Amino acid sequence: MRNRLKVLRAERNWSQADLAEKLDVSRQSVNAIETGKYDPSLPLAFKIAAVFGLPIEQIFSADDAAQAAE
Amino acid sequence: MTCETSANLKRAGARYTRAMTAAALAYVAIVAIAVYTLDRFSPPHWTVIVLSLLPMAPALLMLRAYLVFTRSMDEFQRRLQNEALIVACAVTVFGSFAYGFLEEWAEFPHLPLIWVLPAFCMVFGVAHIVIRLRYK
Repeated sequence: MRNRLKVLRAERNWSQADLAEKLDVSRQSVNAIETGKYDPSLPLAFKIAAVFGLPIEQIFSADDAAQAAE
Repeated sequence: MTCETSANLKRAGARYTRAMTAAALAYVAIVAIAVYTLDRFSPPHWTVIVLSLLPMAPALLMLRAYLVFTRSMDEFQRRLQNEALIVACAVTVFGSFAYGFLEEWAEFPHLPLIWVLPAFCMVFGVAHIVIRLRYK
């Protein structure tokens, strides 16, 4: 799964630690999600969407969907 | 979700360290008392059994401290713990199974079962470091 976490975070001038605090997770977790090494659970994905104020599909996309869009 | 913030996790880590230190000190004290008693006196067999099982009390307190600590982790950190536990289980169980055959058939020296838990903890520690590095 791909995500736009890094871009969205940069747009808001948030550090990984800031986002981690807002999501109630560790900074390592934010880093693992951003680098695509860990896919969050559905509840955490919803929480991420709520923090950014965006629908989930504007943050996360399946690998094949992202390739098709390119 | 029931996960905690980084600050809360740090507090949980401090609680975990305190609980583990207290349990480790209790373990050392109990083992020392048990060894002294068994060396100096000739207690009845039931007392020997009780003394032999007494170190399990602080060991179980360590397990409790670990379980409480894992509950304070977020889902990603719990995943790291789970993966390290699977590796530690696999290596320890299959390692001891293989060594059992070597003991029985190839006349390798007998190793006491007491080393299984320390071996498990050691493998868990190494596996956790390697798995953390993989996700960096």
